[in-house]
Amino acid sequence: MSQFDPRADKLLRLNAALDDELDAAHRLDLDREIAQDPHAAAALQRLSVVSDAVRRHAPREAAPASLRASVAALGSPRPAARRAYFPIGAALAAGLAIGVTGPLVLGPSRGGDPVMASLTGDFARAELSGHTYDIASSDRHVVKPWLATRAPLGVEAVDLADKGYPLAGGRVAVVGATPLPTLVYQRREHWIAVTELPLSLEKAEATPQAGTLDGFRSLRWRDRERGYVAVSDIDSEELSAFVAVFRAAIGVNGSETH
Amino acid sequence: MISEAARRRYQTIVPPYVDDAYALARWLSGSSVDAEDIVQEAALRALNALETAIVERPRAWFLRIVRNAALTWMAKNRPKAVVMVGGVDDLAAIETFDPAAGERSPEALLIAAEDGDRVRRAIAALPTPLREALVLREVNDLSYREIAEATATPIGTVMSRLARARVALAKTLEDKS
Repeated sequence: MSQFDPRADKLLRLNAALDDELDAAHRLDLDREIAQDPHAAAALQRLSVVSDAVRRHAPREAAPASLRASVAALGSPRPAARRAYFPIGAALAAGLAIGVTGPLVLGPSRGGDPVMASLTGDFARAELSGHTYDIASSDRHVVKPWLATRAPLGVEAVDLADKGYPLAGGRVAVVGATPLPTLVYQRREHWIAVTELPLSLEKAEATPQAGTLDGFRSLRWRDRERGYVAVSDIDSEELSAFVAVFRAAIGVNGSETH
Repeated sequence: MISEAARRRYQTIVPPYVDDAYALARWLSGSSVDAEDIVQEAALRALNALETAIVERPRAWFLRIVRNAALTWMAKNRPKAVVMVGGVDDLAAIETFDPAAGERSPEALLIAAEDGDRVRRAIAALPTPLREALVLREVNDLSYREIAEATATPIGTVMSRLARARVALAKTLEDKS
């Protein structure tokens, strides 16, 4: 390993400052050094001229359309296979869902469903950290637009306070690389998180499927073009009761808007 | 045989970064025609890898495949161009600016930096490890962490290569004016 060289070290830190890769404390230290050292100030200026010149004269140019098309075509399902599994309407809907959200980026499942493992882990972290939601509001007109700007799906934020499940807030769960809108409801001292999934990855049935992972209960089901997963630490009967209320409320809202 | 799941994952991971891939391949190979072949090859490798790969940072992940495909391509077609300079990762070997440069007028550098052809020639003349770090940073706008992933290199090495690339560019541009 090489010896510590203060000049080389300073050069690295000047570059890191230019690339906005220094944290506030180190940036402050460096700013003080620069203020006292004209050589460092001049070096930073030269680095910045070079960086700017590269960005201006070597811009990222678009790939040729033919390349773009052939790269996209590689990922298209083979037409025969698609016709074999999907009626055309479903194929279009799935295509739309992929266009909007993309499928989840997941590795092979290690003993269990990766979506459920991820959402249950998310719930456990939220519980343990006390950071149950990213936006606290019982007003669905606040929660819905907040989620809409952060996750691609159009979640129906329904308040179920009159049924005993006040809306506490919303947060974004992340499965793979996909942000998923999540509503958080309160039940006494407990929380229930309902995450909406794009249909492209949803394999659930209309009948809710119950699961237990790491002591948390989950129900997973599908309504119309959306899949849902509810995770909570309440018992499974209570969770089923909540899901019935939630589905009824979503159904009512849905019939009003369609 | 590629599964439907892998194809769906491919669609979110690869096509959005085809411009980034093309830019990197062009700077590594020095040729737009070769860059197309390299990106095609990389896309195919990515599709196959997506049967099992776990991808956290899609852009860095795909650019790593592009970079490897480009290096393989160059080793096969233009072996002399791949110069892995000895001691390139040695921190002490970093050529720092001459302290006297602080007193020199930055005018020569500023003038040279306006000449697009000169700047591009100077980038193309950098040794591959320095050039790829510079391109990933300035052209692809990757963070240090992403560059480290894309080049399979520790972050300290990324930093020293980037610093050396910029110092070398500054000196080339100044000296030939």
